[in-house]
Amino acid sequence: MASAGSRHAIFVGSGGSLFGIHIVNVLLILATLSIYSFWAKVRVRKYLWSQTEFEGDRFAYHGTGREMFFGFIKAFLFFILPITLLNTLPEAFGASPLVFVATRIAVSIIAAVFIPVAIVGARRYRLSRSSWRGIRFSLRASTRDFVGLWVRGWMLTSLTLGFYYPAFVVSQHRFLTSHTWFGSQRFAFDGRGRDLLWAWLGALVLFVPTLGLSWFWFAARRQRYFAEHTRVAGARFTSTVSAPALAWLTLSTWIGLIATLGLAWPWLTIRKLRRQFVWLSLDGPLALESITQEAQQVGATGEGLAGFFDADLGFT
Amino acid sequence: MRLDWNAAYLDGRTAARRRATVHITRTGLDIVLAEGGARLFWPFREIRQTQGNYAGEQVRLERGGELPEALLIGDVSFLSAARAVAPDAARLHEPARRRLRVGLTFSALLGAIALAVAIYYVGIPAFARVAAERVPVSWEEKLGSAIVEHFAPPSRRCEDPPRQARIEGIVGRLTAKRPLPYTLRITIVNSPVVNALAAPGGQILVFRGLLERTDNAEELAGVLAHEIAHVEHRHVTRAIFQHASTGVLMAALAGDVSGVVAFGLEGARTLGDLQMSRAAETEADQEGMRRIQEADIDPAGTITFFEKLAKREREHDDSLTRYLRTHPTTAERIASLRALAATAPAPAERLLPEDDWNAVKSLCGELPAGSRSPQR
Repeated sequence: MASAGSRHAIFVGSGGSLFGIHIVNVLLILATLSIYSFWAKVRVRKYLWSQTEFEGDRFAYHGTGREMFFGFIKAFLFFILPITLLNTLPEAFGASPLVFVATRIAVSIIAAVFIPVAIVGARRYRLSRSSWRGIRFSLRASTRDFVGLWVRGWMLTSLTLGFYYPAFVVSQHRFLTSHTWFGSQRFAFDGRGRDLLWAWLGALVLFVPTLGLSWFWFAARRQRYFAEHTRVAGARFTSTVSAPALAWLTLSTWIGLIATLGLAWPWLTIRKLRRQFVWLSLDGPLALESITQEAQQVGATGEGLAGFFDADLGFT
Repeated sequence: MRLDWNAAYLDGRTAARRRATVHITRTGLDIVLAEGGARLFWPFREIRQTQGNYAGEQVRLERGGELPEALLIGDVSFLSAARAVAPDAARLHEPARRRLRVGLTFSALLGAIALAVAIYYVGIPAFARVAAERVPVSWEEKLGSAIVEHFAPPSRRCEDPPRQARIEGIVGRLTAKRPLPYTLRITIVNSPVVNALAAPGGQILVFRGLLERTDNAEELAGVLAHEIAHVEHRHVTRAIFQHASTGVLMAALAGDVSGVVAFGLEGARTLGDLQMSRAAETEADQEGMRRIQEADIDPAGTITFFEKLAKREREHDDSLTRYLRTHPTTAERIASLRALAATAPAPAERLLPEDDWNAVKSLCGELPAGSRSPQR
């Protein structure tokens, strides 16, 4: 039965519990010379997901450290190792200038592919390992299409001296959102690239006079825009985030982290998630009955890649 | 013991949440769905508990592979009840044990701090030393050439073969008794900076500013002996390993924390590097002095030059102090150099007695006013 109204996810985790998980993780990461970090990440995520509640039910994370570890190994073998070798070997062997140029081109191509593959892979893995009410999320998109979008986007951005950038941001978001599924239910995104152009230009012009704070204004605008143009199961997202609130949350988190050398990370993470979920709501009739499970097979390479680059897209 | 519990059942195929009652038996859970009254039996052996280990979490039990069914129970005392009744339920979490976690967290905190300190002060330096020793000389030479290219491109070098030969003569004398596996190359850089540095693989850069402040061959020999010690003990290669592994340690400590904290930690890292480099400077001072004495060169030159640097440091805050900043306190250095010098008698003969030192040190061109050395 579809019910109308405004729905919020709420985050109920506590900093103390997360600190307990975090500090045991740190100990094991040090003891295993950082091999444990993949398992550590899973433990943190399991906690954060299960402390997030929507319509009375908790989310669940199903990833495993083993998958993340092998994902990283794959990323290392296919991307990091070739790039390192191509960068160092010609110099070490005193290769001819022609070989030199050829390897440089190869490195740029691999690097250009690396980031989009990492973004799409990380999102695919993370969604496929997340569930709510027993139904998994998934990203059903071809990696090749996203790489194409990415390369084209950067080309147009440089050709237009940056004017294409906001449209590029929107097209990336459209791609990732409209290929996201919750069970058999697809997310939809109806934003257009040019809508963010003025906000972006304004933020850019005011960047120096406001000491960079105008960027938060753009970021908040973008968050609201993305939310308002995302629909699922007959309902639409809304975000009430404001620029000052976003700026304060971000800056105070940074300051807190630096001042405590990262020790306050658990409490700051909890605080951040709480705020973010307060901002975001899902409005309108939400038809959940017809949604059914559809299993997808996914590897963890992207997650490994993203972990390496720290291109993590954030919990939301 | 309470055996009947309210729960929610998810079939793993639809997003519908169904009310159910659960009855604990010795071997498993009897589940009755509220609507339709369907009965299910879950043996404990097939049940995984995925949530309910932390305060504020409901209990979540799953059964099955790819698309598991799930049972959600709000009251965590269900777990204690199941553990009390069924021997197979021992794998389930015991909420009463949560109190032990405070102690565990505290011990983990202490353990993590102890381990981090041990890795930082013992593990990393030991690793860097062993790793640096295993780097082939040819790799170091390549790295060294790249560094020299960066600091001193050919256009910024002072070239004057006869006078450079005099300086190389000093180097030859310093290494005659204890040769190095490296071919030492001295490059004089046309820059007013008062500095000298040792790149890996036997490359030594002496900046014009430093050369012009030496008053005799013994003073330059002191600087060269110090730099040769850096080369011999592979201090730069070691520092590279040290810097990289400190980065890994900090990443481990910061965990999921991204960019910004890394930036904050970078400051701590630089301070740490500075401390490590002080240890390397002390070693180079001692080894350099040993070389000076082995080569029968008067150690007084080394000491007078360091005193000159110390005096300048007190008077100015210029490039000279930049040379000294990564070094141990100058007063301490001079004191320990004096102590070392006193252990052996000073030789009677001067280094390069036939040469006019002003002629050698003007290798880059006319000397600036006031930097001519008095004739001896």
